[in-house]
Order: sequence, then structure tokens, then C-alpha cells
Amino acid sequence: MTDVPARSELDAYVDEAAKLCGLPVAPAHRPGVVQYLRVVSQAAALVMEFALPEETEPAPVFHPTPGEP
Amino acid sequence: MSGIDYATSDGLALVAAVRARRAAAREVCDIALARIAARDPDVNAFTCVLTEQARAAAAAVDATIAAGGDPGPLAGLPFAVKNLFDVAGLTTLAGSKINASRPPATRDAAVVAAIRRAGGVLVGALNMDEYAYGFTTENTHYGSTRNPHDAARVAGGSSGGSGAAVGAGLVPLTLGSDTNGSVRVPAALCGVFGLKPTYGRVSRAGSALFAPSFDHVGPLGRSVRDVTAAFDVMQGPDPEDPVCADRPAEPCLPLLDTGVGGLRIAVLDGHFARGGEPGAFAAVAQVAATLGVTRRVTIPEAHRARAAAMVITASEGAALHLADLKTRAHDFDPLTRDRFLAGVLVPTTWYVQAQRFRAWYRAQVTRIFREVDVLLAPTTPCAAPLIGQERMTMDGVEVLTRPNLGVYTQPISFIGLPVLSVPVTMPGTMPLGVQIIAAPFREAHALRVGALLEAKGVAAAVVTA
Repeated sequence: MTDVPARSELDAYVDEAAKLCGLPVAPAHRPGVVQYLRVVSQAAALVMEFALPEETEPAPVFHPTPGEP
Repeated sequence: MSGIDYATSDGLALVAAVRARRAAAREVCDIALARIAARDPDVNAFTCVLTEQARAAAAAVDATIAAGGDPGPLAGLPFAVKNLFDVAGLTTLAGSKINASRPPATRDAAVVAAIRRAGGVLVGALNMDEYAYGFTTENTHYGSTRNPHDAARVAGGSSGGSGAAVGAGLVPLTLGSDTNGSVRVPAALCGVFGLKPTYGRVSRAGSALFAPSFDHVGPLGRSVRDVTAAFDVMQGPDPEDPVCADRPAEPCLPLLDTGVGGLRIAVLDGHFARGGEPGAFAAVAQVAATLGVTRRVTIPEAHRARAAAMVITASEGAALHLADLKTRAHDFDPLTRDRFLAGVLVPTTWYVQAQRFRAWYRAQVTRIFREVDVLLAPTTPCAAPLIGQERMTMDGVEVLTRPNLGVYTQPISFIGLPVLSVPVTMPGTMPLGVQIIAAPFREAHALRVGALLEAKGVAAAVVTA
């Protein structure tokens, strides 16, 4: 399984990424945010380790004319 | 109301009584309102009751009948909707405090309008997890919705008010939304039927979104024919919902009693046969035995599908609420806030890879549907947990309760398959659900199986007296 980031890496990531996104994270909310990002990172590890054929496009498909496939 | 018990009749029995003038719609409406007034304080399913509006709508149905007009296929049927659906004149809360300061909706959501056009009488709006981000309807702003069969337990979510209102016998029909299991989980835990149609089969116009890649809307009810009748009046194209399929409605009600002959049915193995409590699998086994099904099939990488659904949900949900997360995070429910904030920070690479995986996974499941027509799986891994219960055990491992209620529903809604959750209750136990899963746009297959299970008494709604 792909490595899940360490707690300290997640702490640092939350601080820097929140700054980049312009998202204030109050000190009281930070532990919960880090904890849930860890949950998502565990899920993402399962996704990222799975090799997909290069030609696999993302599921959502854009239609220039709404309603027409 | 001669010969009809409101709490035990299904919705279409009430409709038949109204249409045949054995009962007045106004009379049915008053019984519904009286039950809500008497019992909802214990359940907390409703966030708003539309007493006068409902009485006026019911009186209009009676007037139409008296004038010899057609009052519609759901004439006089009391129904209520999750409070993320627009209802003209009401503010659409979506379970939040933030939205409470918004102006009232100016028109009904497409599905609310459809049920009303069919003669349904809207009696109120229902509680939910904030912005639909949860499986338990433990809402800090509006209180937890309690399970009608054990008030110490959750009703499931995020359409918990929708499940509890039917299970408590307050109304025979409700509408909910399902992104990762939010119709199916409360239907199972409250002991009622719940239909999540194919992605794009029913319009979401006028419904607050959560994670648009997976957002569906659907009915919960006391019988298979009730949810089918509601589905039939809601399904079909709608240019106001960009994902609504441009294919004509295919009515299912006329097909309900055609049996399951010719349908190839299998039990899902692998991910769907691991981790749950024995009762969850016993319910599936009972359904399979009734149908004479012994075949088992495995959807590859279903656990990864669930993981990808979590990534996409976190990211899309956060994007939707970004402005409020930046300026007033303290106004979110503490039970959703940190998850929404974390979702803002999900790297794009994870999101795009999850959407690529989704296409791959859909191709695998499409192959399976060349060989089978219907798949069976548990709806939840366990019966309703206690309100406030943080952890539970799965496969001998302690896990968080709330996210894991969707372990078997998420890999299915991830690719938009239609599912009917049927209630199966063993003596002396809390209700459980079994998912009857069909190929895209084959709702009729799942509903036919459900109707047969109901006719044989294996699946039955549990409504408190």
C-alpha cells in the first residue's frame, strides 16, 4: 500500500495548503482537520497505488451542448 | 375513514380510499398532522410542519374529486421531504444554520412539484445531517433524529428524518437524497423501503447539492409499490438538471407483479461479504434463499471504489461550501465542519485519479451486468448504532461508526447504479436492509425483486403502531 503521510507531514501540509487556498483554520479546528485529512489520505493511498491504463479518462465528460451526449 | 388504518396501510391504499371517496383527503391529512403532533416530539423527524398549507392542498384534492376531475395517481397521499429540497415559501436549510438566513425558495424542487402534481399533500420538511455529510442525522443545530424503533439509536442518515417519519408512521412517503448511501442507510435502519434511482434518472433541480458526481434523489416508503409510484411520477428528463438523462420515463408500477422469471440474480461476494455483523449477512442469505439464488459474484476493487468515493466527496463537498468555510467556519455543525475544511485541502491529483478510477470501475461492473441482472448485498454492516456512538468493531478491528455505515452503499452509488433497499427484520432485533442492485436504468428489475420479497413476507416495512 502507498505510504500514508506521517502526522507531522500532515500538520505541515495543512498549514501550508490552507495558506495557499486562503483558508483560515482556527486552532480549535486544526486537530480535527488534520485527523480527517489523514482519513482521506488513507483512502487516497488505495486509489493512488492502483495502476490505471493511460487511456482511462476521468469519469465526468464535458458536453459542449448541454443535454446532448 | 372506514376500514383503513393510517399507520399500517401503505400510501397507495390511502390513495385508493381517497379516489373511491371512502375517505376524504382532508381526513387523511388531519390524521397525518395529528400523528406528527403526537409522536414527532419523540422522534424529531420534522423541522417544519405545513399544517394550513397541507389542509388546503388536501381540500383541493377533495374538490377535484367532487367535481368529477382526476386528482392524480397519488391523490391525497401525505408526504414530507428532506429539508434540502426547495419548497416554495420555505427556506431550504439543508440541515444547516448558515442557510437559515437565506430567503425562502420561490418554487418547488422538481421532485416536490412532481409529487404535488400527482395529488400528493406536502405536510412538512425533514431533518438531516448538515449539508448531507453524514450517515446518522446527529444534527447539532436541529437535534438528533431518533430511531422510531429505539429512541436511544440513530435513524441513519443523511436522510434520517425521511426514514424515521415513515418508520414512525407519521407519513407513508418521504423524499430523500443519496450521495453515498443517504436514502438506503436510513431506510435500512428505520425498517422501510428506500429507492436510489440511477444517477441522472430523476431530476435534482431545486435540491441542494452535496457532491454532484454522486448526488441522487429518491423516495422512501412503506411498500415497494409506494416507492415505485413515487418514482414513476418523478422520473424522466429535465433540462434544468445538467446530469438528468435525456431518455423518456419508463414506468415501473405496471411491471411490479410480473415476478422475477428471467432475471439472473447473484449475491455479491468479496468486499460486500466482509466486515459486517452476522445479522447483516443473515438478512442477505434469507433474501437469497427466498429467491433460490446460490450464485455469487465479486466486483473487483470495491474497497477502492469506496475509498475513491470518499476522496471525491470530500473534495466536491468542500468546493461547494468554500466561501462559507473561509468566512464562517464556526457556524458549521461541529460534526461536519472539520471534514469540510479538510476537503478544501485534498490535492487535485487524488481527486482526478479517483475520477479516472471511477471510469475503470464502471467498466468492470458493466461486464458483470452482461452475466447477471440483479445483485444482492447488505445495506449496512450493522443495525442502528446508539446516538453518540463513536466507534464500533468490524472484522475484529475498532473503527469509527459514522463513516463505516456506508461501507456497502458507497461502492454502488459511486457508479450510479439503481438500488432498492428492502427492510428485513429478524424476530427480536432492530431492522436491517438488503440492497437489490440493478444495471443502470433497470430500476424495474430491482423493484420486481423487491415486490416478490414483499409478497412472500421476507421484506416488510416496520412501522410503529
